[in-house]
Amino acid sequence: MCGGPSRTTVDRMIEVRELTKRYGATTAVDRLSFTVRPGTVTGFLGPNGAGKTTSMRILLGLDAATSGEALVNGGGYAALRRPMREVGALLDAGAVHGGRRAFDHLGWLARSNGIGARRVAEVLEQVGLAGVARKRVGGFSLGMRQRLGIAAALLGDPGVLMFDEPVNGLDPDGVRWIRELMRSLAADGRTVLVSSHLMTEMELTADRLIIIGRGRLIADTSVRELADRFRRGVLVRTPRPAALTAVLAAAGGSVESMPGGALTVTGMDVAVIGDRAAARGIPLYEVTPHSASLEEAYMELTAGSTEFGAVAS
Amino acid sequence: MDAVAAEWWKLRSVRSTYWTLSAAAAVFVFVLLLAFQMAHIWDGLSVERRADFTLRPLQELGGWAAALCLAVLGVLSVTSEYRSGMIRTTLTVVPRRGRVLAAKAAVVGTVALVAGEAVSIGSFLGTRLVVGDRPFPDQGASIAHDLPDFAIVGASVAVFALLGMSLGVLLRSTAGALVSVVFLWHVLPLLVFQLPEPWNERVGSVMPGALPGQIAGRSADSSIYGDLLPPGAAAAVMLAYALVPLMLAGFALSRRDA
Repeated sequence: MCGGPSRTTVDRMIEVRELTKRYGATTAVDRLSFTVRPGTVTGFLGPNGAGKTTSMRILLGLDAATSGEALVNGGGYAALRRPMREVGALLDAGAVHGGRRAFDHLGWLARSNGIGARRVAEVLEQVGLAGVARKRVGGFSLGMRQRLGIAAALLGDPGVLMFDEPVNGLDPDGVRWIRELMRSLAADGRTVLVSSHLMTEMELTADRLIIIGRGRLIADTSVRELADRFRRGVLVRTPRPAALTAVLAAAGGSVESMPGGALTVTGMDVAVIGDRAAARGIPLYEVTPHSASLEEAYMELTAGSTEFGAVAS
Repeated sequence: MDAVAAEWWKLRSVRSTYWTLSAAAAVFVFVLLLAFQMAHIWDGLSVERRADFTLRPLQELGGWAAALCLAVLGVLSVTSEYRSGMIRTTLTVVPRRGRVLAAKAAVVGTVALVAGEAVSIGSFLGTRLVVGDRPFPDQGASIAHDLPDFAIVGASVAVFALLGMSLGVLLRSTAGALVSVVFLWHVLPLLVFQLPEPWNERVGSVMPGALPGQIAGRSADSSIYGDLLPPGAAAAVMLAYALVPLMLAGFALSRRDA
């Protein structure tokens, strides 16, 4: 694929530093800083209107930042001579001329960056649109348009990829296809930034998460760290809750009675709970480590930073 | 050159290009049909009536109508991208916006120049061919003598196309740009013609449609336009109609968030 071991460290990197974008009185992006590294899928999460699309537009040189920097491969996007060979982007799959055939759409894109027609056929094959290459885009379903947009992003075989809400409106097969594609692109050593407002989706696709709300950074973390941070103890069921409570409390755990007779134990992992119970002959019916779902964690993190529900991202 | 090739690919891969070019071609065919009709009428006229019967207005119809067709092509080349949002894709793959606009102008301008010359010169030569050796009073000059006049009209078609393209960038709306083009093409000259003397002739001399005639050094007696400009000044004004809006469009495009 493109690039090799000779590449420098700033290659295949997205760096946003103190980025601010104001539209009149509205601050869409507020001193946002983060770095996206190669080899992983990075989820760019936030409620609608959080500033994800604006940040991506600034990264792609479409909008000018009010202040701060948005760098791709160590420089500004506008300085790239043949940007498609370095950065592939899908912002809005609907932004195609309905009267143009799929082959022609990719054809002019390829031509603009000195990419050959053979590559057009390759990406059409890769996204499963080879059979409709000569059809007009106007007749495409949303899923087909997403595939076409992804084909466009892949045309230049770039090391950095940005996708804005790529799974919106896709059927389950399409969602799974995109998820696997993202993961394989990252596995090739590419930098992949995928925005979404759905944690449930990112949980399955991303390794790292950048969570923003109202234009500000809320969390820059890995999926695992986030899950750990919101661990909520261990759910234990036993026919002798009083005895177990005493034993675990004596061993340093903190135990809370739940409605229905279950216990929630914090400060102690599953193995210790099992061992202590076994030592005293207390039967256990269930021992379940219970973390808040990432969705709950996300809701908690972004609580208070949601723009009014109806604003498009 | 990659940007020019890409714009060329864009232009030839949408149907609206072929519709507008077909409309220009249809105008040419229509002019020829009218020429047959005029030849037929000529044959039935008395000698004194023939002295007032001119072919020229018909010959000029081709280039005049082609200007509107190609201006529409210029408008659509830009506003179709704004309507669909594809402009953002364009500016992402070619981040230098001046280059995008220059490439579009090169493609639209060249297509319009070729089409404009074909229709304008075609209308001149075609009508002459149709009327044959009938001595129309305004067709006494040789073909070589009248040809440059029609070539200038053909070039003005490219000016209109670039004007349409620039208005498309500035207004970002198909309806807005089309209305503006039609206004400049025909409505404004009609309004200017109604101005009190001597302003009707003064302003009428700088209307886009008035310029080819003045560049060719022809009198505008029988038209709504004025003819006060010397050929050089008229050529400069015509160039300004192409370049000033283009520069404004370039400025707007590079300053605006896409």
